[in-house]
Amino acid sequence: MRSRSLAVAVVLLCAALGTAGCGFGPGSGVGEVLLTVTRDYGAEPVQPPVAETASESDTVMRVLDRNADISTRFGGGFVQAIDGLEAERGSGRSSDWFFYVNGVESTVGAAEYPLRGGEAIWWDYRDWTDVMRVPAVVGSWPQPFVGGYDGERRPVAVECLGGAAACDTVRAALGAAGASVIAGSPQGAIRVLVGPWARLRRDAAAAQIGDGPQASGVFAELERDGAGFRLTGLGTDGEPVRTFGPKTGLVAATRRYDAPPTWVVTGVDPAGVRAAATLLDAATLRDRYAVATEGGEEIPLPLGAS
Amino acid sequence: MRSPFAYTPRPGPLQSASPGAAVVYLGALVVVAFLYSNPIVLAAVGAAAALAGRLAGARRAVRAAIWLGLAIALPIVIVNALVVSRGATVLLRLGEWPLFGQVDVTAEAIADGAVFGLRAVVVMIAFAVYSACVDPDRVLRALRPFAGRSALTATLISRLVPVAAADAARLRDAGRLRGPAAAPLGRATMARRLLTGSLDRAVDVAATLELRGYALAPRRRRLNEAFGGAEYPKAFQRRSRYDRRFYVVGPVVLVAAVAGQFLGADGFSAYPTIEVGTEPVTVALSVLIVLSGLAPWRRNA
Repeated sequence: MRSRSLAVAVVLLCAALGTAGCGFGPGSGVGEVLLTVTRDYGAEPVQPPVAETASESDTVMRVLDRNADISTRFGGGFVQAIDGLEAERGSGRSSDWFFYVNGVESTVGAAEYPLRGGEAIWWDYRDWTDVMRVPAVVGSWPQPFVGGYDGERRPVAVECLGGAAACDTVRAALGAAGASVIAGSPQGAIRVLVGPWARLRRDAAAAQIGDGPQASGVFAELERDGAGFRLTGLGTDGEPVRTFGPKTGLVAATRRYDAPPTWVVTGVDPAGVRAAATLLDAATLRDRYAVATEGGEEIPLPLGAS
Repeated sequence: MRSPFAYTPRPGPLQSASPGAAVVYLGALVVVAFLYSNPIVLAAVGAAAALAGRLAGARRAVRAAIWLGLAIALPIVIVNALVVSRGATVLLRLGEWPLFGQVDVTAEAIADGAVFGLRAVVVMIAFAVYSACVDPDRVLRALRPFAGRSALTATLISRLVPVAAADAARLRDAGRLRGPAAAPLGRATMARRLLTGSLDRAVDVAATLELRGYALAPRRRRLNEAFGGAEYPKAFQRRSRYDRRFYVVGPVVLVAAVAGQFLGADGFSAYPTIEVGTEPVTVALSVLIVLSGLAPWRRNA
């Protein structure tokens, strides 16, 4: 009688643990994740992109460890080297490995970032001496609009601040990618601001771009030029490299504090906004921090990263 | 019953050696245990300390230290396995826990905890050998010229503890002798009685120390004065003929360990996957460390 009760208790405990997501081994698959490893702001691939099925217990670190030769420090929480490319300190400059999940810089370490399937993981080795923080990037399009970030799907809001045709193009691109755009701009939504810089710069998140790459993580400067604005592409050191002409557009992502990322699809004039809106596709944005366009030419930012 | 860690006078080299020599020798092993994370090297340090203890006749102390160390190591391993979810090899998924978040037990976290635990065991063995083989009186005497007050305090405490234990035993006997009808003597009552009497007993101990010449000048100065200011003969200096070997073995182990660090002998990483370095330099250092455990060996033991 007593042994039967014990057996029942054990079975119930196992059932409860099983329901709570407990079990032996890494667990079953939760979906496919895409792993990209590049260097110098995405300019050069370190290894070909890999798509693999993540398991219940997978983290960003475990997926990376399975697909690359890595070494870590600080008790396995920080990636020191991937495929022999090691973090460097010297001559007053510092380079390290950074990772983005769905285009958003994580606030936790790779070993603590759980995966739920569908994520785009991007590891990039870069010199961060001049610009330490790049909170969001555009290189994982159509993420974060499709899968959200930090393990949570978010609503997507397109805010048209002038440039109706460009807005339609952006909405169409998001819809084609599988994102569901909602009306209005509720709190917690990933925002896409579309319009000329003269209008966008009044938005608090977008205005960070005007404060320089140290504030926004976007290697572009938009300065007043007579009645309009002028776009200047910056190098990895945050210094101006190339000044663009009229009809120049920009697609970039930034993030203000812990708010959801804000994408800007802008230009120095309406033609520039329209040109920027056409950049929203995976082939153009892949592995880019931000992209400018001038006369049909797509220019990855920062400039001279390779 | 005597504690296995209590000092027991024996005629062995480690017991005969001056406290400085013993500290240099055993201290070197402890330093190496903290310098290295490679389990092979740590195991070698543990083996050396256990071997030294065994050769010095402190087998009970070594055995007790191993059990005590394992009792400390086991919780370290368990806590590390539950708190740290890093590592590539997930053995067990325990779901979401309050405060802990997602708890995954990984082979790497267990291995990492085991290395911490091994270090605890090794250090416990070294300290057990020190405690059982090095005369605390000689250590305090050696300390007196440098830190008189600290040495006096430590001496008083080291004397007061057995005095308090003896007092407690006497009080307990007295309590029993009151007969079965008497109220039981509680621990609090006993502790209060011992505490109130502790100042008197400390004065007693201090007086006894003074009577035994504790307050006199250090031996060297006294002997110098006795010899009219001239350097006193070597025969009066209390050095053991075994000192030299400990003074040599300790630094040799330490220098080899530091050199080994530069040569990559400490190859160990738990994350993201377990990697234990087994390079020749690691093996050579481990062999050297184990051999250093033979230092207390005596031919006619």
